[in-house]
Amino acid sequence: MFFLFFKGREKEKTLRVIFYYIVYCIINEAIGYYLHEINKSDFILFALYTLLEFTFFSLFYYYALPKKPVRKVVPIMWALFFIFECIDFFLINQMNAFDSFAVGVESILIILLCIYYLVIQLKGTNTLFVYSTFNFWVIITFLIYLSGTLFLYVMAENMIQNREFRIQYIVINSVFNVIKNILLSIAMLMKPTPIKNPEQKDRNLDEVLSYNLKN
Amino acid sequence: MQMYFLQASGNTFGLSNVLIFGTIGMCVMAITLVSVVVFHQRRVIKFNKQLQKIEEEKQQMLLKASINFQEEERQRIAADLHDDAGPLLATARLYLNENLIHQEPAVQLQSIFSAKQIIDDTIQLIRNISHSLMPPTLKNFGLESAIKDLFEKINGSGVINASARFHDTRDRLTEEQELLVFRILQELVTNIIKHSSAGFIHLTQNVQGNFSYFRIHHDGKGILQEEFEKLNYDSVGLGLKNIVSRIKVLKGSISFDIDSSQTYYKVTIEIPREPGNK
Repeated sequence: MFFLFFKGREKEKTLRVIFYYIVYCIINEAIGYYLHEINKSDFILFALYTLLEFTFFSLFYYYALPKKPVRKVVPIMWALFFIFECIDFFLINQMNAFDSFAVGVESILIILLCIYYLVIQLKGTNTLFVYSTFNFWVIITFLIYLSGTLFLYVMAENMIQNREFRIQYIVINSVFNVIKNILLSIAMLMKPTPIKNPEQKDRNLDEVLSYNLKN
Repeated sequence: MQMYFLQASGNTFGLSNVLIFGTIGMCVMAITLVSVVVFHQRRVIKFNKQLQKIEEEKQQMLLKASINFQEEERQRIAADLHDDAGPLLATARLYLNENLIHQEPAVQLQSIFSAKQIIDDTIQLIRNISHSLMPPTLKNFGLESAIKDLFEKINGSGVINASARFHDTRDRLTEEQELLVFRILQELVTNIIKHSSAGFIHLTQNVQGNFSYFRIHHDGKGILQEEFEKLNYDSVGLGLKNIVSRIKVLKGSISFDIDSSQTYYKVTIEIPREPGNK
């Protein structure tokens, strides 16, 4: 389905990033299911998911944000997070625990970028309604998904063995995954907005006035 | 910290509450933020659209004023030609017809002389119409001479003292710009004479950077920028609308103010210079 929506809109870089992110999510789910079936530890999969999710989100912001100055910060942020994730997973958790700390940091960073993007929209002089753009829907997907799962993932490291928590984990995680997919579907359905030139009309009027006065 | 404490004490109900309320709280925060952005942006866009509409209405009014001005000019020329030139030429034709009927040389000479007089008057009339459309001084000698010529005629009335000083005449404006500036100044001076009861009018011209400046000082009852904007939006006041539309064509600006001593009113026109006009 997503591929069909994506077809013919390959030129939109942010859309391409989200498409690859969705494909990765599907693959990750499949691998997670497989590891669960063969009773293997999936902590490395969680860590990899956190890192790749942050990579996709960072890439999205890199293309979506206006050029200066935060856009330049995004690659640096990604590099620092990469180092932090490696230290957290290999040295602190020793590849044997859920990477709650890294997920918490990732969520806060992305939520801050979401807020920054929304503030830009507030300050901007755009004549388009903000909800008529693809990027806005992706941003609110990130914002709602990461806000909703922040507490869940932060608590998961210590509570994952608790049966009651596991049930809550599955419920909350599934609900927010469904919300994420619905919102991303809406984003994918958004039509690209044609760029209008507001000066064209004024110029035409000037020409008419000029002609009238000359004759 | 609370989480570790709750876990150590085995209080899973408390942990569930932390998780549920934390999740709901974060979601509410996110949704509130998005709602604020959406509603604020909707208000801003609505406001911008209103501004745009007002601007469009203003443009429309200027365009109408420009068209009305043209129509009035055409009607005036048509009236001049029909009421003055038409009867004069018809009379001249009558005299020449007389020549065909009366063969006496004395009568013929008299009617030819009368016809010549009438044709001379007609030529003068057409010349006057032509000059009102495009002042010959402006065309042949430029804006400074045209303004001085206009001011001499005003001074001739003895009611008002008009003077002009051009500080920088090294580079002239283009012919089209000069005509537009002349018409603007002419309209302003006419308004001052008609409405302000001024004793003097003084025009100063100068160049600064890429702009030419024209400033009219007068000691009558003038208007300020606010009043000018108001009059410009009113349906009356064709003259002011013509000034604004000409200023717009020139891509310049006009400002109305009063000097610090509250004695003289000032009208300043700023015109961007087009490069390469000598």
